[in-house]
Amino acid sequence: MRSIATGLNALRLAAAVIGLLLVGLKPAHTQSMNVGQPTAAKKGHVDFIADGQSIAANQPATVKLHFRVDPGFHINSHSPKSDVLIPTRLTVAMLPGDPEVTNVDFPAGEPFSFAFEPKQKLDVYQGDVVLTAHLKAKPGQHSLKAELYYQACDHAACYPPKKLPIEQPYTAK
Amino acid sequence: MRNALVGGIIVVVVAVLVWAGIHNVKARRAAEADAKNHQMTITVDKPGATASMDSPVADLRGKPAAIFTLTSNTGKRISLNDYKGKPVLLNFWATWCTPCKVEMPWFEEFQKKYAAQGLQVVGINEDEDAKSPEIQAQIKKVLENTGVDYTILMSDQKVGDAYGGLDVLPATFYIDRNGKIVAQAIGLAPKEEAEANIQKIVAGS
Repeated sequence: MRSIATGLNALRLAAAVIGLLLVGLKPAHTQSMNVGQPTAAKKGHVDFIADGQSIAANQPATVKLHFRVDPGFHINSHSPKSDVLIPTRLTVAMLPGDPEVTNVDFPAGEPFSFAFEPKQKLDVYQGDVVLTAHLKAKPGQHSLKAELYYQACDHAACYPPKKLPIEQPYTAK
Repeated sequence: MRNALVGGIIVVVVAVLVWAGIHNVKARRAAEADAKNHQMTITVDKPGATASMDSPVADLRGKPAAIFTLTSNTGKRISLNDYKGKPVLLNFWATWCTPCKVEMPWFEEFQKKYAAQGLQVVGINEDEDAKSPEIQAQIKKVLENTGVDYTILMSDQKVGDAYGGLDVLPATFYIDRNGKIVAQAIGLAPKEEAEANIQKIVAGS
């Protein structure tokens, strides 16, 4: 009886050891997953953040357009310091009856140099970027539709120019 | 009886341990080899560093370079087949790409340095609307400023798809004499790395 119990204990120990070994084999295989294979979806590196805004009706007012450039990236400002660089632009879509956008203010850029080209001073937007649209609207719910055109780079590469359609709702009271 | 049973179990356990150990080593080696095969030259972080790489970029190493025929900036029709048997550095660039303009003078220097070994540097301009006078003028200005005299071809906006659907510049492919892509660099790579890749493709001359 005692020998059977000892044998069973030895079997349990063997099963535990084998189980641990089999579990231990798996990481050796899964460690190779995705090495050097970026998997994130393609994106434009700039997001538009719509929010609720209220303005005074029937008088000159402003609507803010909030953008966010991904960390580690920059886009050229509206006035980059080179004629071969693509400035950030906004094209406003105005349908008949829409409040007329008379002007869009772009913020000043900030100086930027690539580490590999420190002498060249660029003028860029990074992080939060706010454009200001000037308009006059009748009372009611409105929506400012536009398209941001920009070209992004990170510390070592650049991405083709992109168009970002946006829609900013606002209420004129 | 008991001793025989325990002894048998110990033998089995030892055998399983040995088998598992061998299997584990083999699996790790296979995993490491697989990981190495998937690595690309995209992780250097120093002046002349490479891109963030948040877009999937195909690893074309070991694959035949896609054949194309494009028009040069001087109006000549040029095919990759024209360079059959020669090592080719194929660089995709655009006027709006500042990192591209950093490495273009290096490539001009390498074109001269490795001319005796048959190196052909070919740049493919990826500007949209490259036929417009405005972009033509910008291309000319960039080539003058960078001192580039090697062959420049104008993209048909399809050739990039044949090289992995490029959504980031610069992108450089190092093609050996057999037309095989030996190395690739997405984003600006250090000059030494570019030259090391050139030495790989000119080898065997």
